[in-house]
Amino acid sequence: MPDQTPPIALDIEDLTVAYRSQPVVWDLDLHVPPGVLMAIVGPNGAGKSTLIKAALGLVPRAAGSVHFFGKPYDEVRLRVGYVPQRGSVDWDFPTTVLDLTLMGLYGKLGWIRRPGRAEFDRAMHALEQVGLQDFAHRQIGQLSGGQQQRSFIARALVQDADLYFMDEPFAAVDAVTEAAIVNLLQELRSLQRTVIVVHHDLDTVTDYFDHVTLLNVELIASGPTTEAFTEANIRRTYGSRTLKALGVS
Amino acid sequence: MYGLEQVIIQFLLNFTSQESINTILNDPRIVAIIIGGLVAASGGLLGVFLKLRHMSLTTDAISHTILLGIVVAFIVMSSILGLEPDLSSPGLILGAALAGVGTVILTELVQRSGLIKGDTALGLVFPLLFAIAVLLVSRFTSNIHLDNDSVIVGEIGVAWANTNTHCYTGCEDVVITPEHPAARVGRVCTNCSPGGINPRSPEAVFTEQCSNCGTYNAAEAWAQGLTDVQPLLVLWPRSITTMGVITLLNVAFILIFYKELKLASFDAALARALGFKPGWLHYTLMILVSITAVGAFDAVGAVLVVAFFIIPPATAYLLTHRLGWMLILSPFLGAISALVGYDLARANLLGWLPFSELIPGLTWNTSISAAMVIAQFIVFLLAWALSPEQGFVAAMLRRQNQRRHFEDQVVMGHILNHQETLEASQELATDTLHQHFRWTPARTQQVLRRLRRLQLIVITQNRVQLTEPGVRAALSFEQTLRTGS
Repeated sequence: MPDQTPPIALDIEDLTVAYRSQPVVWDLDLHVPPGVLMAIVGPNGAGKSTLIKAALGLVPRAAGSVHFFGKPYDEVRLRVGYVPQRGSVDWDFPTTVLDLTLMGLYGKLGWIRRPGRAEFDRAMHALEQVGLQDFAHRQIGQLSGGQQQRSFIARALVQDADLYFMDEPFAAVDAVTEAAIVNLLQELRSLQRTVIVVHHDLDTVTDYFDHVTLLNVELIASGPTTEAFTEANIRRTYGSRTLKALGVS
Repeated sequence: MYGLEQVIIQFLLNFTSQESINTILNDPRIVAIIIGGLVAASGGLLGVFLKLRHMSLTTDAISHTILLGIVVAFIVMSSILGLEPDLSSPGLILGAALAGVGTVILTELVQRSGLIKGDTALGLVFPLLFAIAVLLVSRFTSNIHLDNDSVIVGEIGVAWANTNTHCYTGCEDVVITPEHPAARVGRVCTNCSPGGINPRSPEAVFTEQCSNCGTYNAAEAWAQGLTDVQPLLVLWPRSITTMGVITLLNVAFILIFYKELKLASFDAALARALGFKPGWLHYTLMILVSITAVGAFDAVGAVLVVAFFIIPPATAYLLTHRLGWMLILSPFLGAISALVGYDLARANLLGWLPFSELIPGLTWNTSISAAMVIAQFIVFLLAWALSPEQGFVAAMLRRQNQRRHFEDQVVMGHILNHQETLEASQELATDTLHQHFRWTPARTQQVLRRLRRLQLIVITQNRVQLTEPGVRAALSFEQTLRTGS
């Protein structure tokens, strides 16, 4: 008899991440159903980016396990897309917007194989989706901050992943770009993709996202925005420092 | 390497004669330029990625610490294995590669301790390893061919003289026996001694002895006039082979892993997330840097080799926004600088501009590698000044154009605002116009002259007025101000 329940998109069990002996993420359990648009919110130093990086194996886990669609990351790399913080790369790198977008396809190409006609077409299509088709051959350093963020998202779109992590895609972008990105995220959700976004603006959480995770080293709450994004939870996440002190000492 | 040289020479002999190969290889200028060009090409290729990964100074560290690898490998090979290694021996190259990677790993360990950060960790590790190497050199290897000069600047002249001899015809050893016509045979007293038996004494016993008998290789025999057969020899500088192989290795690495190197250099996190091994690429790159630095060691030395890794890529970076073009321009500019640098050192540019003769009595015979570095820097300065997009001159012209354009718009905007008004006669009088802008009269007149030349304004009876195209230009500028694009 086939299993009728859809597999959980992201399943994190007992995750602890530490820099030296200082925990950054403490004993975290998180279950994200597929097809949701989820915000991760929490104060600075709450471990939001670290959570993503630990899930992708970019920082070592001190304890715990992470599964995507019921499998370890190594087996489903290509089903997971990642948009790092815009400031994490050198935008003076000698490459074009099209070339940057093509990098999203490197995973599918594997070692040594070079992108060909089909890959170029897909990259151009993704650039059209984010409205950057006219900038394809610009050097990436010539883009504005918002355009850079959109080119990063185009790079993630060509990956055609089932689950996306985005680390602060709304940081320092103007209102027009923010609206464009929100549209793209909602389009992804309508295609049954799961999108997990590190987010800073508490005012827009309810408008943009259907799920939310509140994090401050420990998990405070996670679930549909209507249930989890309560004043009490927000206060517990941002208000008191006691939780953080607990985790740190 | 010897076998490879034979293959290359055999291949060349299909197209040209042994004499012309030797003429080329005997020319110190050509050999120095070939070797310098190969060092520049291989360094310039790797240097592009070092520059983009912000690791230029790591090259500096590696180029020093490979000395430790060389010395340790030398001691192991000579005193334990009883070999006579030189700088192209695989053992020494392996030792250098290990030392280079060891430097990077040690530095990363120190950084990970969290106590010492960034480049300080590098500055802590590499002088230590270099100091150990210097101690070992002075203590154990008095006979090794490593002195201060060669460590610091190297000498391409040495690389030129350091050859393998390849023989093609007439290569048989010549054996001189006492019967050979070239043998020098003399009678020698066998029992004479000072104060004892005198050669004149009747007891003296004589035998015939040959003073030059023995086995000579073909080249020695010909040089000493012991044979009539001139051997066909090619004296091949070893550095050409070593640097040639290293250059090919670097080219192959970059061609094969171009895409992976680009991704790992730009966004290591994504590279790791997609399953590429940025760490693996990183250490392979460091191994190649070490090998390249060893190959370049006797030609350009440990200090100056850094320039061959850094200056050409920095120059290429000023000239293009494309990684592919950087990888073509950088080795090319490096090789050109090697050519110009050699001639700079010998004060005889391209062989036809002997500027040393302009100053009589001046002998000009300086360090070739140092002159090559100066040439690289001159090329860099030219690129900095003249690069079409990012260059200093282009930026200056752009700024000047912007300033002029802005002045034009300020004046035209002023005229547009006032030319149909009652106070037009005061506001638009040419001789008092400058007061409205708080400009000097000269500057104002200059702008007016320019606008008249462009037929955007006319001056009638000491009053400026916009022409019809002038009105259109002023209006469209105001339009762009409003829409903000």
